[in-house]
Amino acid sequence: MSFLLTRTSLYYKLVFMKDNSAVPMASPGQRAASYWFVDGLPDILLGVTLLIFGGLGLWWCLHMSKSVAWPDLYFLEAGLILLFWKGREILGFLKSRVTYPRTGYVQPPEDIPDMLIGHPTTLITLSLKPAPPPDENVTRFNTRTVYVVFLWCFLLFGAAANPWKSWYTALVMLPLAVALYAWNRRSERPYRWWSTLILALSGPALLWLDLSPLLQPLLMPLLAGAWLVADGGYTLVQYLRANQYPRARESVQA
Amino acid sequence: MTPRMQEISQLDRVIHEPARLAIMLILGGVGEADFLYLQREGGFTQGNLSGHLAKLEEAGYVEIEKKFKGKVPLTVCSLTGKGKAAFTEYANRMLGLLQPSGATGAPQP
Repeated sequence: MSFLLTRTSLYYKLVFMKDNSAVPMASPGQRAASYWFVDGLPDILLGVTLLIFGGLGLWWCLHMSKSVAWPDLYFLEAGLILLFWKGREILGFLKSRVTYPRTGYVQPPEDIPDMLIGHPTTLITLSLKPAPPPDENVTRFNTRTVYVVFLWCFLLFGAAANPWKSWYTALVMLPLAVALYAWNRRSERPYRWWSTLILALSGPALLWLDLSPLLQPLLMPLLAGAWLVADGGYTLVQYLRANQYPRARESVQA
Repeated sequence: MTPRMQEISQLDRVIHEPARLAIMLILGGVGEADFLYLQREGGFTQGNLSGHLAKLEEAGYVEIEKKFKGKVPLTVCSLTGKGKAAFTEYANRMLGLLQPSGATGAPQP
């Protein structure tokens, strides 16, 4: 058997085979994992959960138990449990109406645990040289965003006897913003630098309000939630502007 | 003809076509995807993608199902066991062929 190639055919094939890519392309698995966050809905859901349960906690602490902030923690825990229990279902419902008709459906990424928790050295390693994302359709959103935000909220309550008092929220928002930016820098869902800068600056902005030290830890989930909703909302608006709802559903025609 | 050239001629032609290779590669990486996602990801036209999917389905490499996500009907494609095995074999064969070799790859006078 022989391979018959004309001169033109060979030239065309060689030109086609030439590698013109400036940067290596992401694998299909990585692209599918990024696709899960293309509409900003996971961030919006997390933000709304923080706003609802953080708001409930704040209301409870202001009206029911005026001297302690601990009930807020229980509300946040309930929100976290609900998010893990029903989060995927809610996102599936929303995406079936927003994302799938516009840009198609792909299998949602599997949540994989990270080595972040329990390994303090990972913080330094990830910040300086984060590992490249895995080639598979997997995500670490739970570990690198959900846990980080909730842990930060819980840590605030754990350090109630802090020496800085009114500076506390201002100081704590900065490392949260840095952590979210650094840990997700090369992940399937990176945060925009200017967006995390807004989060970092939201803490010092609260100083103008001159809030009591009791209220400050209660405002932290609300601040983080509002930021997540705003960031996800911006992504969603951009996505909707770029992808109009199809007049005829192509998937049905197929 | 050298053994290497013989090896090339034995490649699975169903997968070897660039569009079908792209489909297999995408489905292998993501698990399952619908028609619209594949079309956008691979830059296919509707007819083109339909034709290639039909050939892959005919070969038993791809399974096509009509599913509902909420109330939205989707044409969901995924690799079958046979498809995964064929793709793995194709990839191994190609990797073997692309490895730099000694006498087998040298042109004969």
